[in-house]
Order: sequence, then C-alpha cells, then structure tokens
Amino acid sequence: MSYYFTILSPTDVPLFNIAFGTSKSGGDGIARFRFPDTAQYMNQFIIHSSLDMVEEAQWMNGNMYLKHIDTYPPASAYISAFLTPSGARFLLLHQPPHAAGPNANAGGGGGGGGIGGSSSILGGSFAAGSSAARASASSIAANPTSPQTEEAVRQFMAEVYENYVKTVMNPFYRQGMEIRSAVFRSRVTAAGRKWL
Amino acid sequence: MAQPPPRHATMLSLSNSNSNSNSHSNLSSTTTISTPQTQTHLPTPSQSSTGLRVPSNRKTIYDRHLNRSRNAELSRASFAFLFGEMVTYAQRRVTGIQDLERRLNEQGYPLGLRLLDLLFYRTVTGSSSSSALSSSSSTSASPPNRPLRILPLLHLIHGPLWRLLFTRPADALEHSVSPDTPNEYMITDNDPLVNTYISVPKEMSMLNCAAFVAGIIEGVCDGCGFEAKVTAHNQPTEMWPSRTIFLLRFGESVMEREKVLERAGVK
Amino acid sequence: MSSTTKASRIGEELWKTRVDKVNAELVTLTYGTIVAQLCQDYDGNYQEVNKQLEKMGYNIGMRLIEDFLAKSNIGRCANFRETADMISKVGFRIFLNIAPTVTNWTSDNNQFSLVFDENPLADFVELPDDGRAQDELWFSNILCGVLRGALEMVQMQIEAHFVSDVLRGDDATEMRVSLVRYIEDEMPPEEE
Repeated sequence: MSYYFTILSPTDVPLFNIAFGTSKSGGDGIARFRFPDTAQYMNQFIIHSSLDMVEEAQWMNGNMYLKHIDTYPPASAYISAFLTPSGARFLLLHQPPHAAGPNANAGGGGGGGGIGGSSSILGGSFAAGSSAARASASSIAANPTSPQTEEAVRQFMAEVYENYVKTVMNPFYRQGMEIRSAVFRSRVTAAGRKWL
Repeated sequence: MAQPPPRHATMLSLSNSNSNSNSHSNLSSTTTISTPQTQTHLPTPSQSSTGLRVPSNRKTIYDRHLNRSRNAELSRASFAFLFGEMVTYAQRRVTGIQDLERRLNEQGYPLGLRLLDLLFYRTVTGSSSSSALSSSSSTSASPPNRPLRILPLLHLIHGPLWRLLFTRPADALEHSVSPDTPNEYMITDNDPLVNTYISVPKEMSMLNCAAFVAGIIEGVCDGCGFEAKVTAHNQPTEMWPSRTIFLLRFGESVMEREKVLERAGVK
Repeated sequence: MSSTTKASRIGEELWKTRVDKVNAELVTLTYGTIVAQLCQDYDGNYQEVNKQLEKMGYNIGMRLIEDFLAKSNIGRCANFRETADMISKVGFRIFLNIAPTVTNWTSDNNQFSLVFDENPLADFVELPDDGRAQDELWFSNILCGVLRGALEMVQMQIEAHFVSDVLRGDDATEMRVSLVRYIEDEMPPEEE
C-alpha cells in the first residue's frame, strides 16, 4: 500500500504533505505509486476532487474521523478524512499495490514499473504470495475499506492530530501557515510506520 | 495530462518543497511537472526541514504532553498584570474605544482557534468521566462531536471553553427574543476575570476589556465553521457591577445552513 | 535554618494559602499572545520586542511589589544574597509557582544567575523558524523587567538579562541579575 497524506487549511491551502508506503507485511515504508512520474500530481488532484465529498459529509456527521469518504477508481485510490474542530482537514490517500506483493515491488523499485499501467487491479486481488501469518496485517495493506483499515487509519489520524495540536498551540503559529517543522514530519512518519 | 486548475497548481508548488526522503524514489521525477517559477522561490527540501536548534536533550514542543499543564494553576495577579499590560499596549496604538476593542478582539481570536483544538484533543484522550467537553448543561456525548448546529456550539462555549479558561461555566445562555434578530445569542458572565483588576478610566467607561474574550469566542465560532461577530457589553447589576454580556451574531450563511440541517434532522 | 530553606517555606506556604489562582494555561496563552503580537507589530525587529517586553515587565514589577510585600509580610533583606533567595523562592513561587535556582555568584556577591528548570510562560512555545528569532529574541524578557521594576521600588537598582534559553536550543534557561547600587537617597525611614 502506498499513502499520500495531506493537511489542508479550512480554505484548502496545503499546509503539509508527505508520501510513504506501508510498513506492514514486511513493507519498507517507501511509497510506490502506480504511476510514479505523475503520482504526486495525481494524488493532489484526487485529494482535491474529494473535497466536495468532505464538505458534504462535514455537516452531516459530527465525528472528527469521517473514515473512507471517496474512491477514485482509475487510480484505485481511496481517500479517508479527518476534520479538526478548527476546520483543518487531514486527508489520506491510499493506493493498494499491484497484483505483485510488496517484496516483488521492492525489487522493481519506484521506477517505471507502473507506467505501463496494466488495467486497474483492486486491492482485493492482493493475495498472491501472502503467507497466512501475514493475513491480519495484509488486510490493512490490501483492503482499504475493511474495518481493520478504518481503525488503523483512525489511529494514525489521532496521532497526527495530537502533533498538529502541539503545532497550533505555539503562539507563533497562525492559522493557514505551512507546517515546516522537521520534528512534526518525523512524528507523522513515525505514526505512519506504527499504524499503516 | 491536462493543465491543472489554479487551486491544484498551488498544491503542486508546495508539495515540491515538502518532498521528503521517504518518498524520494517517487519524487525524483517530479521536476517534470513543476514550473520554473515555483522552484525559484520555494525552499529546497533540505531548507524545509527546520533550522531550529534544540537543546541537547532534544526536547521540543512535540515532546511535551498536551495535558501536562491541564490542571496547573498560576497566580490570578500574574494574569491580571499581563492582561493589563496587553490592554495598555493596545491602547497606545489605537484611536478610540472601538478601535481598542477591535484590537483586543483580534488578539483573542487566534486563542479561540487554539483552545478549540486543545479542548477536543483532551476529550479524545481524556478519561470519559472527566471529559473536557462534557457540559453540565448538555448531554455529554463521547466520542466528541464537532458542533454542527448553533446550540451545541453555544454549549461548548458556555461550558467546556469557559471551564478551561475560567474554571467555571458561564452564567447564562440566551437566545434573542426579538423576531428581527433570530441570529443573536447572548452568553453572560456575571463577574468576568478579565475585568477584575482592570480599572477603566472614566472617559472610557464604555470600554469592556472582555472584548478579548469576545475575540476568543469568535475564534471558536469561526473555527467550527460558524461565521459570527462577537462583542462584549457592560450590563452591570447591583449585585454584579462588572457583569458582561457577550453578544454573538451569526452570519447569514450560518442561519441558512441551520435551516437546511434542521430539515435534514441533523442535531 | 538557612535563609534559602526559610524562603522556600515561606514561598510554599504563601502559594498554598494566600494566592488567588487561575488556570495556568490562561496565563501562558495570554503571554504568548502578547509576545506574538509584539513580533508582528515590530515586524520581526526582535531587539525592539525584547525592549518592549522589558518595559512591560518594569511596569508590572513596580505594581507587583506591593502585592508581594502585602502577601509575604517580610522585612528588609540583610544582603543581596538574601534578596536573591526571596526573589527565587518567594517571588517566583507566588507569581509563577516556580523557584528558579540561584547560582553562579560572583565573589563580590553582587551578581547571580537564576536558572529556570521550568518556565510556564514558555509552555507550548517554539520560536519562529526564520533564522533570526533563536539568535535575537528573548521570549521571557518580561521577567527581567519585572525584577528591575520590583526591586527599584525597594531601593535596589539592578540590571537583569537572559544569557541562555532552552527555546534558543540552549541546555538551560538562565537569567543574570546584577546589583548596580542601593538607592540610598530615597531610602524611607526604617519601618517597624
């Protein structure tokens, strides 16, 4: 699974973003999106396309964690959202790996593997090569809408939220400022490694 | 690939500065989609990693538990002295009472945004019994919900926010009775802490330093997506000489949404 | 009993029994707001911000000393060493519920350091990452002014400045306090 996480201000200004890969099922934490050349642009595009869904859900559901709110089938990208009470949006895009397992992927590196763009393969087919021992972890890696995944993402979001609150409590932080702290980044990375 | 609309373009430029080592393998080719201008004035990844020095124990704000000072106390006099200096300083830079109140309001506003996040964080992590958001006047809900309607928002301010700031709830919460102003609500504090030690000169008798608190309230409302103007007004009674009413006036869009949500059955 | 221990006990006792309290975070956040506002108003001229903070502190100190004397009911200090203990163990205890360590005396007993293990004013704070704030801004500079103002009211002219701050990446937060002179001329008749 590859992840793209972004924090947007209430007026959609990007404050922070980061790409990473799963650390479960022997994953090495490195993002391998299917179309590496355009992944960054695509991820941002997909996330922004989901904002309408977020804005709709925002007023029907008072939870901070809105769970999986949108899917973009062409890239088999899944979006989960978390809203802070002060209006910032945490959005996580997850993209299951190709049919090949993470280890096979690792061999291919982030190179041109995905560019050929074989027909979209949804996460459900990621069974090949998984040993039984990996079953629970791989359900996070492979099935973006399973309850286990929702829970893992919730934990991730909560941990990021804690660090976000620490950021905004600083009297020098003003709403809408980009979050540039390296410590914050490392905390998000650690949360990703721990839960995703 | 189609040209990105402007909103996406800003995304791009920022993310470029934010690329991190973890995603390096993917981002190595991103230059192909970033425009030259964005590259020139954006920090490189190495610059975007903070240049702040930290003590040798490497402690930063991220190492400090957010609940550490939750129940800590300081002297009331210290607050009064600091707040007094804040008002005096603001006074030097303004032209009149309204201007001064506006400035105090503006200083309170970002505090409201901060306190909102802090309150919710504490409820997420706090034990359910001492949940920071459980309000005596509202049914305590856990996990905490972002307020979607005006009433829960007001309860949040009247209860949890007031308790966090002043260790007690506000004294009253009312809705305007006038049919002309259904968007007006009032929160009363009989004895605002911010007015306790502040002696206002006679020629400024209209001044209410609780404008600072009004700003905090405004920040909370705005943060939650309820655009509002909040003002503080002196309403002394014999028993409560510094009694203050905070008048909250919600914007048109909020009232519109309120109707929609009402029909949709959102509470 | 050493004067330090005695001062500690007085401070603790006063904090428990004589001090009206408020939520510490209200004080912390209010102070943070003041400093952030100054930095904005002076457009990142941190020297000027330091100066303004010191001035604010001076104003506070001149008024705060009354409160201090009324609460503590302690008489004149015998020497500057005793004054230092009173500042640290009673003054800071009453107003900020901390007692910075008094240390690094010069041999003439006219200069000492206050080392802060804790500083409630700086909770939640990270200085701006602009390449200058950590070299120029003394976030808690108001405290220097408070000491100067308060001590001036009891006939001591002092000079105080920070020499290090954990917010700047230093390992300790330390303020240097020097006695300039006793203001003999205006010495009021000995009370009691």
